[in-house]
Amino acid sequence: MSSSLFQLGRKKFLRAPQLEAKFTIKILMGLVILYFAGSFLFAGVVIYPALSKKFLEQDAISIINSFLVLIFAFELIIRYFLQQLPVTEIKSFLLLSIPKKRIIRNVLLRSLITIYNVIPFLLYLPISIAMFNDDYLLSQVFAWWVSLALLSLSINFITILVNKNNKVLATFVLVFIFVYVVEYYSETEILRSTGHFFDSLLAHPILVLLPASIFLGLYFITFKFLKININLEGSLVAKTGVANAERYNFLNVFGPHALFLKNDLRLIVRNIRPRNIVLASFLFLFYGLAFFPSIEYQSAFFIPFASIFITGGFLLTFGNYVPAWDSEYYPFLMCQNLSYKQYLDSKWRLMTFAVLVSTVLSIPYIYFGVDIYLMILSGAFFNIGLGTWITLYGGLLNKQPLKLNVKAKAFENTQAFSGKQFLMILPKMILPVLLYLIPAQVFNSTVGLITLASSGILGIIFKNQILNQMVKLFVKEKHQTLQAFTQK
Amino acid sequence: MIKTNSLTKIYGDKTALSIDQLEIPTGQSFGLVGNNGAGKTTFFSLLLDLIKASSGEIISNKIAVAISEEWKNFTSAFIDDSFLIGYLTPEEYFYFVGSLRGIDQKEIDLFLEAYADFFNDEILNQKKYLRDFSKGNQKKVGLVATFIGKPKVIILDEPFANLDPTTQIKLKQLIHKKSEDKELTLLISSHDLNHLTEVCNRIVLLEKGSVIMDKETTAKTLQELEDYFSA
Repeated sequence: MSSSLFQLGRKKFLRAPQLEAKFTIKILMGLVILYFAGSFLFAGVVIYPALSKKFLEQDAISIINSFLVLIFAFELIIRYFLQQLPVTEIKSFLLLSIPKKRIIRNVLLRSLITIYNVIPFLLYLPISIAMFNDDYLLSQVFAWWVSLALLSLSINFITILVNKNNKVLATFVLVFIFVYVVEYYSETEILRSTGHFFDSLLAHPILVLLPASIFLGLYFITFKFLKININLEGSLVAKTGVANAERYNFLNVFGPHALFLKNDLRLIVRNIRPRNIVLASFLFLFYGLAFFPSIEYQSAFFIPFASIFITGGFLLTFGNYVPAWDSEYYPFLMCQNLSYKQYLDSKWRLMTFAVLVSTVLSIPYIYFGVDIYLMILSGAFFNIGLGTWITLYGGLLNKQPLKLNVKAKAFENTQAFSGKQFLMILPKMILPVLLYLIPAQVFNSTVGLITLASSGILGIIFKNQILNQMVKLFVKEKHQTLQAFTQK
Repeated sequence: MIKTNSLTKIYGDKTALSIDQLEIPTGQSFGLVGNNGAGKTTFFSLLLDLIKASSGEIISNKIAVAISEEWKNFTSAFIDDSFLIGYLTPEEYFYFVGSLRGIDQKEIDLFLEAYADFFNDEILNQKKYLRDFSKGNQKKVGLVATFIGKPKVIILDEPFANLDPTTQIKLKQLIHKKSEDKELTLLISSHDLNHLTEVCNRIVLLEKGSVIMDKETTAKTLQELEDYFSA
């Protein structure tokens, strides 16, 4: 039974409309995964001996323990955005005589077979081995490793539970950032005190029962959650909200572009998926906090990298899917008497507007130095002048339709922001870093800033020409895009 | 109005459509029948340049639809629900279509008044998004939207499907009224032989992509079609 459900998953992949593209992406994903796996393994092997050497008066393992909570939080966020639930066409099974329990068990089981669950082996196992060699008892090492593995797998279930709710994630992230900042500046131990638990695991290996019961508890909660959601599917459909009749007349100042801008605004406000994605792009604003405070990250590479991200969140999350946002009614648009140029131009304006807003919102970064804000500013220039076009270009070639208003269904992945999309972003991130880095290395950082900013200004100057090329590509791709978007 | 020359559409080794020559004069109400897979939607999609023809060409009002986009100025269509924007209210959708065809909101409001009977109080001022309407009511919106801006060519794929009986009758009356306009060319496909023979003055029967029958509608047409399909 389970194996036939597995087979369906395989067939779904092999018979998908864009198989070749999917293969290429899978291979690229494979390379990225190899890279990260290698990094984790490297970190796992190196960290324990390195810490032992550096901090002679402290236990290396208790330093690691105090950071575990950060690793887990990071893992949760990464999983939330990138991990996808294994989806088979659950709905069609509901009417067949397969016990619901079996379907759910299958989903949960398959959710465990994911690359993210290899982390305990790559990161924690080498540390455990190093501990064992360092005179820890087998029982201690075993309790420690098993606890971490179980907690990591618990996060797997938490991801499934949270996946349906962005508010939970937003609250979590905000609270976490708040606590982290308080801890950082007030020298109190809040998060780090969780390390004491892991310390006591080594003293009393029997405590492994605690993570074990958390894991089992979460398994059953997730099981129940999915079971209830299967049953509710039917009754959820009937729920419809009252339409929001906002006319957005203030957008009329944009003249002929107002028409499309209004629709885009409605698209974002009224559909679950775009709304989530725009919220996610807001989180990018805080990206700098991860890099700027710590001195070792103030390297030539990370500052331009982070600066681009701060103002470019919306580009990455929204721009990547132009015109896929309109995929549900693409045939309609292609039959209307609309100017492609105006259509694409209004998308450009929307993205530009978002960059401008994030540039203003990122003013507090001046706290970390005027230099850093200048970096963000020139990054914003790049994002407006070139970043927008690069994302649009990628979007025009994207042939993956989007379901706009996917309601929170237990078995459908509501996150359009998957690992595959992340992969398409990488080239856009590397170009600006090079634009800054090369002149900054050859001359000085001011020249780097000027080069980066002027590359963006060039993009703005030649906007018309670039736009015309985009329109040409848009027309060229029309039939292929139509075909892909209408495939259900 | 519309002329096609040796039009074919081939998917792999399967011919979806192969029409030697077809001419639809201005003002005609052109009906298309055929079983599933006969090529009706393929034909309409070609007319709207939604798919590329494997060979041949379509000339609509002297414009080759595969080359120029000018045909969009005088053509409107409702093929399926991908012609609706789910997150708009019906009013917003009508305004959007209107502004694409150069008609402002006030004119649209006036225009919609004429369809109050057809809407049967189920469409306007409902404070609902299109995606939350029933299939039938969605179709009403899509159909009426094709009339905005006095197009010269209107293409309707299965307009009667999903409509309740009352609305089907009202739609027939509506199409009759529209076809009095001798400037308007109407292309309609349907599985409902009764309706189609009532509203169209010419019927073309497609079978496996080829034209099997092409006749002016007469009193006998319905019987002939029924004979064909029951054979």
